[in-house]
Amino acid sequence: MPIKKPSGKSSAEPTAGGFDLSVVAALAKIAAHHDLSEVEIEHAGLRVRVARKRHAPVELSHVVAAPAPAPAPPVEAAVVAPAELAGAVKSPMVGTAYLRPSPEAKPFVEVGASVKAGDKILLVEAMKTFNEIVAPRAGKVTHILVEDGAPVEYGQALMVIE
Amino acid sequence: MFDKILIANRGEIALRVLRAAKELGIATVAVYSTADKEAMHVKLADESVCIGPPPARDSYLNVPALLAACEITGADAVHPGYGFLSENARFAEILAEHHIAFIGPKAEHIRLMGDKIEAKRTAARLGIPCVPGSSGAVGEDAEALRIAADIGYPVIVKASAGGGGRGMKVAKSADELLNAISNAKIEAKTAFGDDSVYLEKYLAKPRHIEVQVLGDGKGRAIHLGERDCSLQRRHQKVWEEGPSPALNATQREEIGAIVARAMAELGYVGVGTIEFLYEDGQFYFIEMNTRIQVEHPVTEMITGIDLINEQIKIAAGSPLTIMQEDVRIQGAAIECRVNAEHARTFLPSPGRITYFHPPGGLGVRVDSAAYQGYVIPPYYDSLIGKLIVHGRTRTEALMRLRRALDEFIVDGVETTLPLFRALVRNTDVQNGQYDIHWLEKFLQEDEESS
Repeated sequence: MPIKKPSGKSSAEPTAGGFDLSVVAALAKIAAHHDLSEVEIEHAGLRVRVARKRHAPVELSHVVAAPAPAPAPPVEAAVVAPAELAGAVKSPMVGTAYLRPSPEAKPFVEVGASVKAGDKILLVEAMKTFNEIVAPRAGKVTHILVEDGAPVEYGQALMVIE
Repeated sequence: MFDKILIANRGEIALRVLRAAKELGIATVAVYSTADKEAMHVKLADESVCIGPPPARDSYLNVPALLAACEITGADAVHPGYGFLSENARFAEILAEHHIAFIGPKAEHIRLMGDKIEAKRTAARLGIPCVPGSSGAVGEDAEALRIAADIGYPVIVKASAGGGGRGMKVAKSADELLNAISNAKIEAKTAFGDDSVYLEKYLAKPRHIEVQVLGDGKGRAIHLGERDCSLQRRHQKVWEEGPSPALNATQREEIGAIVARAMAELGYVGVGTIEFLYEDGQFYFIEMNTRIQVEHPVTEMITGIDLINEQIKIAAGSPLTIMQEDVRIQGAAIECRVNAEHARTFLPSPGRITYFHPPGGLGVRVDSAAYQGYVIPPYYDSLIGKLIVHGRTRTEALMRLRRALDEFIVDGVETTLPLFRALVRNTDVQNGQYDIHWLEKFLQEDEESS
């Protein structure tokens, strides 16, 4: 008589000691698609967290067996606010931000633009005096954090150049 | 009435102004340096604008940043508090040029009283008794010696652009005079950018008694009684009380009437304080402060009048509605300035307040922007808050103060609370027997005996 083998997924699915790695693949896809640095899911006593360096290949991070069954899976994502990024350009003064040199002109830069150090990126005006804000370093404008004509305070993040 | 007031200050006075504005239904804008992001008044204000990094000259003294903050928030008035730009005539003028109200006196009066020589001349012209002294600036020469001989030694050399107790040197005899003048000039030049100095008779054991005034610039001014601020350390007031234990009702009315009449004649707008040295029944004008003062709560407690409220209403153009005969001094009030300093060495002690429990109860007021978890920044003054008590009599106020001081807990930083606990138990203080040198003598004896 042949020995019965435990029923399970077909060998076409990748497995690691009985654990379903398709969850990991799905999380990695979600993280990449939404440009997240971390995604964590907990379900049926297992917690999986996938972390990735943005603009870098996905790394499998951590698989933990929780001691007790968990309720419905919460998906937590940790996202770094753009204003806290190292490439954030902060306002040196209080005033009103303008993204274009004059109302009818094109904006100085748009998201995705490449800039060199010293390129004008916006104006901050106070008391009818316009101050040019320049890119502190070369890079790409990844975020514009203020609207044209918005009030800004000292230290407020205006744009992110990476 | 104003729609929106921008509070150009920080700490406890910013909170004080915020409270008055809110009670008048006026919107509030708090401006703050990056070091003051967690300040109580910033949390409570309707809007807040970060105006610069910690150094005062880049933030609270930064006129362009303050103007820009007014512009982006649409504030129609600025309250300067005390210190910082509160007695900066140019700032008042710049605001006026931009059609923003300055909650304070006219720029010309700030300027007038900011020059101590001019202030004395004006006071004399208005009938306010002055300390005998040189009628103007003096140099290091025979003329100075002659003037000093006329006044009579000891004399004190004072910086014309000084004030607040800074830039002063005493000469006990003719031998010391020329040196004192040249030293004072050097210090004055460094500290105030102006080396003009004048001479005054040096009083041996005077009290510091100041009179609170309120004017509407429309021909009316009243006085709100006096405060005795004799207990000072290095010319900084530590304990203030009103009424002064040294004056009787007649003297109070007399000096009050003189200053009220003078301010009405001057057309003074808003709150102000005329400071005197008082010795042997005589008052001697030393200077006028054209702003709200730290110790204003003492007057508020004994008169029941909200001085910041009055300031705002007058600045908005309303005439003075309080009549002199309606001003009644009731009971006694004492204020202690609780600083984040070691109680003996007075070394500053900035840092995190780990436990904060202010006292309460009838007649107890704490004007403080501190709270549990608050971090006192090292860039500004060390005032944690003011404890003010009121009683129906001075004795009751003293008992209440003793009780309130024992209840007050501030952990995490050093404070001067122990000093006040010692003062309230001291016989001279309880008897009101002190002059402007008393506290330093007390501290010195205390140091020598330990």
